[in-house]
Amino acid sequence: MRFRVAARNTAPMHILLAEDDAETAALVERGLADAGHKVTHVADGDAAHRAGDAADFDLAVVDRMLPGVDGLEVVRRWRAAGIRVPVIMLTALGSIGDRVAGLEAGADDYLVKPFAFAELSARVGALLRRPPLAEAPTRFHVGDVTLDLLRREVRRGAREIRLQPREFGILEQLMRNAGRIVTRAMLLEEVWGFHFDPQTNIVESHLSRMRGKLNEGFDSDPIETLRGVGYRMRGGD
Amino acid sequence: MTEKRRSAVYRIAFIYSGAFALAVALLGVLVYVAAERALRGEQDLALGEATAALERSYRTEGYAGLIDAIGERGSTNGVVTFGYALFDASGRKVAGSFDLDLPPPGYSNVAFRDPVEGLDHARALTTRLDRNLSLVVGIDSQVLERLDRLILSLFAGVLVLILAIGAGGALVLGSYLRRRLDRISGTAQAIIAGDMRRRVPVSPRGDEFDQLGIALNLMLERIARLLDNLRQVSADVAHDLRTPLARLRAGLEAALSVDDPAAQRAAIAKAVEQADATLALFGGILRIVEVDAGDVRQGFVTVDLTALAEDLVDSYAPAVTDKGRTLACDIAPGIAVPGDRELIAQAVINLLDNAQAHTPPGTAIRLTLRAEPGIARLEVADDGPGVAAADRARIVERFVRLDRSRAAHGHGLGLNLVDAIARAHGGTLAIEDAAPGLSAVLRLPRI
Repeated sequence: MRFRVAARNTAPMHILLAEDDAETAALVERGLADAGHKVTHVADGDAAHRAGDAADFDLAVVDRMLPGVDGLEVVRRWRAAGIRVPVIMLTALGSIGDRVAGLEAGADDYLVKPFAFAELSARVGALLRRPPLAEAPTRFHVGDVTLDLLRREVRRGAREIRLQPREFGILEQLMRNAGRIVTRAMLLEEVWGFHFDPQTNIVESHLSRMRGKLNEGFDSDPIETLRGVGYRMRGGD
Repeated sequence: MTEKRRSAVYRIAFIYSGAFALAVALLGVLVYVAAERALRGEQDLALGEATAALERSYRTEGYAGLIDAIGERGSTNGVVTFGYALFDASGRKVAGSFDLDLPPPGYSNVAFRDPVEGLDHARALTTRLDRNLSLVVGIDSQVLERLDRLILSLFAGVLVLILAIGAGGALVLGSYLRRRLDRISGTAQAIIAGDMRRRVPVSPRGDEFDQLGIALNLMLERIARLLDNLRQVSADVAHDLRTPLARLRAGLEAALSVDDPAAQRAAIAKAVEQADATLALFGGILRIVEVDAGDVRQGFVTVDLTALAEDLVDSYAPAVTDKGRTLACDIAPGIAVPGDRELIAQAVINLLDNAQAHTPPGTAIRLTLRAEPGIARLEVADDGPGVAAADRARIVERFVRLDRSRAAHGHGLGLNLVDAIARAHGGTLAIEDAAPGLSAVLRLPRI
């Protein structure tokens, strides 16, 4: 199955933001609006629950500690009611147990406060276009790069490129999110399963090796480095 | 004494010896009653036999024969004193030495006049031989009474002895238990008074009190560790978080007084960096506190340490090479430990980070995983400059950086977190001399 990534500027998405801290909410709301999304902001759990029930959101950003019904319970109720909106949970609680609880309640991603807006934005982008499981592609094609998950095979043009497993994992994440930023933390989570940031930049060394193999004999680099934020695979054919 | 009355230990000891004495007293009463009944039965039997013999003499040889028979029988039969008397129809005694009034026919307890002792008690059997003659055979109860008295006094003596021994034992036992308990409560009092270092004294006997003491000491150890941890965190927050925050504030303040937008931008960018570093520091402290609190144990699964170590070496080798060092490994197959995969990964990563951060380029780093009996031994060693013996134990402590000026080399929490993770897994972290270089050895209980 071939999966072509759509152009970067698609139709605006409708995002529900449930956050009781006015300042954080204003920052997030402005950032998401700048990225072209329509944002509905609610400040407590009951309102969040009702809003999620009433309208069809493309994504919800839910603070874990909401007044009234807490964020975990809101997501749990949505899931129980069959509302499958992708959820990013924001929290000031960063322990291992808290993260597990958040994911078990049905959140798709979990971001610990304080966070860089670029991190939230990248995760919103990744979740918004995550295809439903049933349509999960096994083959990605971005520019002249092709990645086949089943055959563990990467080609650029006609040339086969041999990658180490971690390098393959990084390229897979970049291609799944072609045209969008993938942060270092996202790569650490997805490729290594680490929810902490090692002092040594293992992502960078693997990425630069992978990039070297990918670009050998080519003039253009399909991977962009955004300093301090992450990486992006140039989308579109 | 009030103290003793309130004491559960004395109460139990006294109640126990009291109950024992009561049981002995009950046994005494039973023995007394049974012996009495048996002896009385014997007595009545002997009276019956004597009466039957005399009656036979009377029937065959008449009155004179009877008197002869009484004379022959004499007054004693072993230890038992018999008495005989004959009465006529009017109730007057006509013969015999037994000095009493005619009792009613059959067995009866009678009073008689003893020529030596005066009025005395006896058991008597009265039989009518014919219309004019009644025979009374009696046994002096003296022997029986003496026996009864002997039994009673024996038991009374034993009872007193038991009460004395019981009370003495209760006092000894009570004071012994009190002494043992006082040692525990003394420790508790000392701790309440603020001496957190006090521990319950434990004897080598290993009895129940020692086991309790050991359990309490372990609990105290844990509490002390948590308290130390809390104290340390407060001190750390006060000291090590204030410094970067002060620097951050000073930087922002300086940026306010500059007009050049480019300089302001740079100052803001620097401030964000400093804020991130401070947050990372804060996150590091919280992580250690979380691991130390021990809640992470609930999420333990079987971790394939062999696979994890290989994976980490694969992940780290390129970065290590980029920095001009080498990473080699020697990993034994099939080693698994119960634990949290991510925490163990973080521990190993911190050791690898550490080996890189404090060694010059060209250093060879080596990760070795070995199975020891019951233990998985993971070592990260380098051939760098190493650490002086005096500093080796210290670098595990929180916020200890041997070279304070090189702030770029982390926040001084790395090894402390590794130590916390090792402890949370029931293992240890040891910093050893690799001669040359430094070796960090992580030992975790193996499956």
